[in-house]
Amino acid sequence: MGKRGAVNTYIVTVMAQDRVGIVRDVSRALAMLGGNITHISQTVMRGYFTLILSVDMPKERTLLEIRQAVERAGEVGEFEVNVRPFEEPPEPEQKSVERFTLSLRGADRSGLIAAATSYLADNRINIEDVYAYVHDGKALILAQVSVPEDVDVEELQTGLQEALKDFDVAAHLQHENIFKATSEVQPVIGLEGMR
Amino acid sequence: MKWVEDILQTVEMLQSEHLDVRAVSLGIDLFDCADQDVDRACKLAKEKIIAKAASLVRVCESVSRRYGIPIVNKRVAVSPVADVMAGHDSSGLVQFAHALDEAAEEIGIDFIGGYSALVHKGMTTSDRRLIETLPQVLSETSRLCASVNAASTKSGINVDALLLLGDVWVDAARRTAESDGFACCKLSVFANMPEDNPFMAGAYKGIGEPDVVVNIGVSGPGVVKRAIERLLHSGRKCDLGTIAEEIKSTAFRVTRSGELIGREVAKALGAEFGIVDLSLAPTPEVGDSVGEIFEAMGIARVGAPGTTAAVAMLNDAVKKGGAFASSSVGGLSGAFIPLSEDACLARAAEAGHLSLEKLEAMTSVCSVGLDMIALPGDTSPETLAAIAMDELAIGVVNNKTTSVRLIPVPNKKAGDRAVFGGLFGECPILPVPNGGSDAFVRKAGRIPAPLVSLNN
Repeated sequence: MGKRGAVNTYIVTVMAQDRVGIVRDVSRALAMLGGNITHISQTVMRGYFTLILSVDMPKERTLLEIRQAVERAGEVGEFEVNVRPFEEPPEPEQKSVERFTLSLRGADRSGLIAAATSYLADNRINIEDVYAYVHDGKALILAQVSVPEDVDVEELQTGLQEALKDFDVAAHLQHENIFKATSEVQPVIGLEGMR
Repeated sequence: MKWVEDILQTVEMLQSEHLDVRAVSLGIDLFDCADQDVDRACKLAKEKIIAKAASLVRVCESVSRRYGIPIVNKRVAVSPVADVMAGHDSSGLVQFAHALDEAAEEIGIDFIGGYSALVHKGMTTSDRRLIETLPQVLSETSRLCASVNAASTKSGINVDALLLLGDVWVDAARRTAESDGFACCKLSVFANMPEDNPFMAGAYKGIGEPDVVVNIGVSGPGVVKRAIERLLHSGRKCDLGTIAEEIKSTAFRVTRSGELIGREVAKALGAEFGIVDLSLAPTPEVGDSVGEIFEAMGIARVGAPGTTAAVAMLNDAVKKGGAFASSSVGGLSGAFIPLSEDACLARAAEAGHLSLEKLEAMTSVCSVGLDMIALPGDTSPETLAAIAMDELAIGVVNNKTTSVRLIPVPNKKAGDRAVFGGLFGECPILPVPNGGSDAFVRKAGRIPAPLVSLNN
């Protein structure tokens, strides 16, 4: 539409106690400034709401102006808001990866997530999504991770057990196809790598 | 979060509910090893088995780790030996049997199947010889399994073969009396024997199958039982239709995991992928029992009135879930009720709730027949043949697979305990109804194919 050059893109995060209408309030405030939201992701954990979005703003809008507008969309002090200019991330190194799911279940203890994720990071394994909770002293951690194709998965699985040997947890690293096969209706032969 | 729920459900199935791949069975064609020289035939067969299956165990372990699913048994099934070794005498057959047993040991598998004869309409000389060697072969080898297809819907029941097999059961049991007739645990006799069954003792490589093929048997009685329990404790109103739906969706998940593993193993071995067999196969372990599924459904003691209906419902729901999950479903695909291998069923028999007659009724609506049934040691060959005739008649008339795995336990009587050990389990010896059908069985010949066979 010829307007692309006339906008700046910002990444906005909002954290608040969850209630009905937060996304409406935030998006309305941004629209009032002439902004256009292009990406949005939100989640609620233990009654706390977090939102991250990408918004294109007219060039004349300042970062401070955007933050204040979003903050004022809620009650006083209700929204914790962060705004930063969007910078194109560096092109990721083109490497083939396979997706695995890490599951950890067992006794909760300080340092468990740090130990598991240190091991992953040391082996160049990126976490794409993670979910964890503790109930009755038992921890459950699920992470979707991408493993570079040149990493030996069996060695990785053995190393993971070793890295977590001081924790009372069952750790499993399983290829994502097992979860797709058992949960999705697409044919097994249509899964990645099955042809 | 949807992905979390999906993953948790699968993690639960794998880590707490005994979902496993019960058997990866590599079918290997041996017709290209046939030779008039018995030494050469044995050498060629061993070489081919080792060449095709040397990495079977390693590949299964690797795939198992990648997906986090245990693969319990790795096995090989070969072409029916009676046909591969046609023209050889009994000593040649026995030598070939030992060669297969040695090949199995060399590649590190627990069983190799295919010491088999297909005699549903009649016996060749080779078929007859193979059947006659069964007592010697099954008592001298440790890994070799045998099977005989003695009936089919298209041809009827070969009573001549069953009479021969009556003597085989008694002789094979006698030769292994110290292990309660264990040799008989390695022999299945079928009606409508599937060519792609991955489960022992009946696995063999069918003549219409590819040169090398992977057939896979998943299992998951524990998973189905837990799914029913979860449903019943969920507070939802549950009628039998709701339970059937739950079984169906669980069977879907179980089948899909099996197909994934089967395709991966086949790819790694350079073999074709054949089928997933959906059968719920129990082990003596608690929580891995088909009988416990019936208990979860509300049958307080397996064998009580209602049990046959429960079996029919379970079997049907498993098939429906599996059929939607995969177009490569085959083998037996039903619920197994092997008496000694299912501690819950064995307990029910011990308490007098489950009789030979009730088991026979249950097999009319499920696979795979009177399986792992211990009988008094003095049961006559004719009576054993008659028990088999009854069971195979159910398969023939209903156009389905049925089989018998009968063990007349030497020196023991009804009510005593037969102990086979390991996955073969233990069970009470069932009384055989006393009536006398010897005169009927001894008339021999073939019971003609039923009218249902004329369906072309």
